Amino acid sequence: MSVIRDDFSIAFRSALLQRGGAQKFSVLSLIFLALVIFFLDVYGIKFTKPVRGLINDVVYRVTYLASTPTRFFPQVNEDLSSFFNVKAENERLKAEIEKYKSLELNVEFLTDENKNLQKILETEYFNKNLSNIVLAKVLVDKNSPFLKSIIINKGTRAGILKGMPVTKDNYLVGRVVETNYLSSRVLLLNDLNSRIPVTLDEGAQAILSGSGLNKPILEYLPEDYEILEEINVFASGKDGIFSPGTPIGKTNGAGEVMLFVDPNQLSFVTVNLSVQTKGNL
Amino acid sequence: MAKSSFISKIYNSGPLLLLYYLCISEVDSNLEKMFEIFTLNFQIILIYFWVLKRPEIMANGHVFIAGLINDVVMGFPLGISSLSYLIIIFVGTYVRNKSVNTTIASDWFTFFMAMVFSNILFFSLLNNFSELSFTLNKIGYNMFFTLFMFPIFWLLFNIYQMTFIGNRDA
Repeated sequence: MSVIRDDFSIAFRSALLQRGGAQKFSVLSLIFLALVIFFLDVYGIKFTKPVRGLINDVVYRVTYLASTPTRFFPQVNEDLSSFFNVKAENERLKAEIEKYKSLELNVEFLTDENKNLQKILETEYFNKNLSNIVLAKVLVDKNSPFLKSIIINKGTRAGILKGMPVTKDNYLVGRVVETNYLSSRVLLLNDLNSRIPVTLDEGAQAILSGSGLNKPILEYLPEDYEILEEINVFASGKDGIFSPGTPIGKTNGAGEVMLFVDPNQLSFVTVNLSVQTKGNL
Repeated sequence: MAKSSFISKIYNSGPLLLLYYLCISEVDSNLEKMFEIFTLNFQIILIYFWVLKRPEIMANGHVFIAGLINDVVMGFPLGISSLSYLIIIFVGTYVRNKSVNTTIASDWFTFFMAMVFSNILFFSLLNNFSELSFTLNKIGYNMFFTLFMFPIFWLLFNIYQMTFIGNRDA
């Protein structure tokens, strides 16, 4: 019995403390170091924030460079297929031009109507001040099973603050949760930690919660509310963060929201600098 | 002679370079974009196999740094992936010290133990010390698929070891 115990303790100690050969550090010392770094980072002692920001900026840039080959091959494939489909593409574009010409007549009327309605709602017109919109490139879009986020190439230098809403083609895609000097992390709407107050077409209020999957879900709807398909979902702006009326997606019958922007296909996004965060998000 | 030694060094560095590349690049080792529930922690399979078979290839310090890089890219608190990887190394080294002959079945079972210890530490630290939240579903899928895929990668790594590095089992 004592032999077995000795055997166990020798193997255990050896696994923790063994060094030599290629192992310059013992597992125990590195576990201790990792714990120190973890608690310094979590409790945010004053000097750790700029250090973490600097590390983030450097690593994000290296990640962007290291991911270049993975972006290159799909792009080449896309370019080749578009080259062979030029004629069909031309026909499609001509048809689209005709369609947009007919729609153009309605646009002016709808724009005026929209402005008037927003005045009634006492909300800020989203495109009033384009200088407050920052265009950013997606540096890293690493898919994690536990965190749905992207990293953009604009940070505090461009005036981005934690909590600012991020859109693509005026559709809401998420909000800034981490800022560095040259980069920021954007939490996407489908992340498990994302909660956004929304309004449905008919005026019902709800909370859009990320599910960790591609389609976020609607929670806290009015009692006996029956969710129909194809209902538009907008940011309600009740949190003072997101512009009221920013379109998000459409419902399906299961209470999920099909986002207008595919969170897996983001390459450029815009950050609205005019909307300030309220407190720590 | 010098050339063959150089090539052998490159082959030996292969697993470590792959680990660094997986941590720093946006390569989707989870394949989550293709299958929504399919998530896989490829890094821990890689670390466990090589710690068990050729620990000199998977140096502790490098694994620690790869973990830190993974935390930065993934947006986790710094040090948490390193801790998780070091637990895998610890269990792998312990199993290596205790066993004479290993088979795919014994490696699979001990990998399960290593993964459980590592994930318990990882998720309990994240739940208690960060604002990130997880569902048990996600964690369960991740553990299940990681365990399920282990023998496949075990065979692939074994082929790599036999072909490029040479067999020298525990």
